[in-house]
Amino acid sequence: MVVIIGPSGSGKSTLLRTFNGLEVPTSGSVLIHGVDITKKKVDLNTVRRNVGMVFQHFNLFNNLTVGQNVMLAPVELQLKDKASAAKQAKELLTNVGLADKFDAHVQSLSGGQQQRVAIARALAVEPDIMLFDEPTSALDPEMVGDVLDVMKDMAKRGITMVVVTHEMGFAKEVADRVVFVDQGKIVEEGTPEQIFNHPKSQRLQDFLNKVLSV
Amino acid sequence: MKHQFVKALRLGLVCLSLGLLLVFAKQTVQAATTYDIATDVTYPPFEYANSRNKYVGIDIDLIKAIAKTEGFKVRLKPMSFNGGVQAVESGQLDGIIAGMTITPERRQKFDFGTPYFKTGVSMAVAKSSHITSFKQLRGKRVALKTGTAAADYAESIKKKYGFKTVTFDDSNNMYQDVTTGNSVACFDDHPVLQYAVKQGVKIKLVGQPATSGWYGFAVKRGQHAALIRKFNAGLKKLKANGTYDQIVNRYLSSQKNPAVRNKTFQIATDVTFPPFEFANAANHYVGIDMDLIRAIAKDQGFKLVLKPMSFNGAIQAVQSGQMDGMIAGMSITPERQKQFNFSKPYFNSGVVMAVKSHSTITKLSQLHGKKVAIKTGTAGADYANSIKKKYGFKTVTFDDSNNMYQDVITGNSVACFDDHPVIKYAIHKGTKLRIVTKPVETAPYGFAVKRGHNAALLAAFNTGLANLKASGQFDQIKAKYLGAPGKAMPVTADTKTDNSFFGLIKQNASALGEGLQETLLLSVVSIFFATIFGIIVGLLGVVPIKWLNWLSTTIIYIFRGLPLLVLALFIYTGIPSLTGEKIPAFVAGVITLAFNEGAYTAAFVKGGIAAVDPGQMEAARSLGLPFGKAMRKVILPQGLKIMVPSFINQFIITLKDTSILSVIGLLELTQTGKIIIARNLEGFAVWTIIALMYLILITLLTWLSNWVQRRMKA
Repeated sequence: MVVIIGPSGSGKSTLLRTFNGLEVPTSGSVLIHGVDITKKKVDLNTVRRNVGMVFQHFNLFNNLTVGQNVMLAPVELQLKDKASAAKQAKELLTNVGLADKFDAHVQSLSGGQQQRVAIARALAVEPDIMLFDEPTSALDPEMVGDVLDVMKDMAKRGITMVVVTHEMGFAKEVADRVVFVDQGKIVEEGTPEQIFNHPKSQRLQDFLNKVLSV
Repeated sequence: MKHQFVKALRLGLVCLSLGLLLVFAKQTVQAATTYDIATDVTYPPFEYANSRNKYVGIDIDLIKAIAKTEGFKVRLKPMSFNGGVQAVESGQLDGIIAGMTITPERRQKFDFGTPYFKTGVSMAVAKSSHITSFKQLRGKRVALKTGTAAADYAESIKKKYGFKTVTFDDSNNMYQDVTTGNSVACFDDHPVLQYAVKQGVKIKLVGQPATSGWYGFAVKRGQHAALIRKFNAGLKKLKANGTYDQIVNRYLSSQKNPAVRNKTFQIATDVTFPPFEFANAANHYVGIDMDLIRAIAKDQGFKLVLKPMSFNGAIQAVQSGQMDGMIAGMSITPERQKQFNFSKPYFNSGVVMAVKSHSTITKLSQLHGKKVAIKTGTAGADYANSIKKKYGFKTVTFDDSNNMYQDVITGNSVACFDDHPVIKYAIHKGTKLRIVTKPVETAPYGFAVKRGHNAALLAAFNTGLANLKASGQFDQIKAKYLGAPGKAMPVTADTKTDNSFFGLIKQNASALGEGLQETLLLSVVSIFFATIFGIIVGLLGVVPIKWLNWLSTTIIYIFRGLPLLVLALFIYTGIPSLTGEKIPAFVAGVITLAFNEGAYTAAFVKGGIAAVDPGQMEAARSLGLPFGKAMRKVILPQGLKIMVPSFINQFIITLKDTSILSVIGLLELTQTGKIIIARNLEGFAVWTIIALMYLILITLLTWLSNWVQRRMKA
């Protein structure tokens, strides 16, 4: 798991969104499994199937039920038939602790529940990599734990994850590598130990002072 | 004195017809009399032996049919024309029917029955000949058939044009003399020559018929009055029951004008210009113009599709080539002659000024500083505009007569100008106006076609008009609507009609029903196409392709920016001008609405999609869903919910906007209303009915939409 940290407006989310082509970099390249996805001939739809994403504001499909949200992509992309997609959706929802919400309407769910559904939805296409764009920022504090627990669980199962977050405790505990971004540039990167306990650059030190003293 | 004389005359007529009736009654009970009738040997298509050597032809069939209806027997004696004439003259035979033209000379020796066939002398030349006029005949030989009116005519002009004549006893020899080149031309009756051409004789007709005359059935003068009466009575019956037309058509479908025969012409007319054009109580279009053009069409053998539309709409439709011609009480003015070719004038009108019944205004000089109502495109309008400076009044322009009258009656305007018969007719119908000036001579009315187009139609109109004038039918048509000169206007049946609210509904139920149907059909078809067009253009506006977005914006900009009326006229009159292809009014109407309403639809489709959280699209795309699928499965279902109220709104607007299409002559509800009002001048009541019908429609549509909306939510 890679965690990206940095002050607001530093370019964390933008960086993350280039990984599945939601943002197109003006220069440079993005390599996924050794393929540069910024090249024109690359089929972004295929890339995106391998790179799941979870958004700050969940972005669940409001016109569909919880179960349909999870099933939509596997069925539409003809990865699974309806029956097996439904079976898989139930399993995924069970994993995130929402087995009983299969037929519920999206609007009836709390923020934390919605975000867990969003994670299940992203996992439904069985991606190799998962991107998290501030998954807990829009949540009430008491909901944050549930979502982080799910993510920790995924980390344990060895799923490759790139997470943009302000949850420093989570980063320290779970991350394999932490990247500090400021003003659009990677300023420093390393293990949580290196980054949080032995920050080298002045900017990272200032950032950590501000964040951790709160 | 005069009055008494008329009375006496009428009494005499009654006695005479009673007497005639008695004679007929007596004769029908008599044993069938047999008459010996002379006819020509070879005068196709009037008489000739067919392939089985049986005598047939118009004359033969006609006299046989008359004999049958009148209960007498006929023994036909084919002989040369001259022989037949002499045999009747000498009393050997009782009568002659042989394409015999009624001439003053012949009248001295024969009594003729009612003229039964119109004819005229024409010249024919060999197919390859370059001769087109009489002048080219100088020094040449011309073939004639003895005893025919054509021969008389040729003899009468041979000195003037300096040709020689050679006469034959039958038509075939005459034709052969021309086809072999011995003679350069021949003269014969128009239908005879046409029949010969149809039969494959290698000649062609040149020029228009030089004279016109009528064929009549003849008996020796002073003899056989009974036979003539029987002939006349029988002919009348055959004409009434259509047998006459059948007989003529059997031989001579080409008797009509060959340039227009069996062709269909679209003729535009005004909706509201009684007594020239208006819908009668049965909502059938009648009036002087209507009866005239129909009679001419019949005379010349062409078919008509009459399209009532506003006068200005008609002018544009003809200019753009949508319509072949127009007859709408249209004055022949120099300006219009730049755009149109006019027929010979068929009506001389005269503009009068009319004021409210109790108005004190009686002179033009009293109009100073006042408002005067006129109708666009009329001679009245031209006249008013020409004198408005002099008398210092202002003009208000209306699109139809009824609105113009209303403006005067309500007092908005103090006077109106229009053609004398038109205002006279309106007053006769109960419009509270008074004519205060003498008719001012203005440009006469003419039938118009687009300049340089439809020359054959125009020629046919002129020929037909001349024929109708010659036969007196034209005067009959005029008298039907204007009354005989000096007499009061004829009281027509619909003055007695029930003009109460429910009476109006009942009386116009079928017309209103048809209008309603047209409106519904137009709405449904237009809504269908507008919605498809709108959704497509709306989607083009949101796809991630720049030039399609631009296209969408441009389409919306153009079609939302154009007033519906302008767009309708542009499509209806503009497209034919550009492509030369006519476009039916209904199609033009649907296209107009599809573009206009579709542009509005596109705008709110775009807006509806834009109103869906962009995160929805990002999330869908992040799952690897292609744009189209994401749009269909995620964005559109949410967007549609947002759009539903807009859709309902747009459907209602479309339904109402169909009324604007009345301008291109579509007979939908509004146009139907205009037409009914043009007839009965009950503007308020009829518009109330129409308004209620629209409201009911819109209520139903709203209910339906709400029901659909509820179902969608569930």
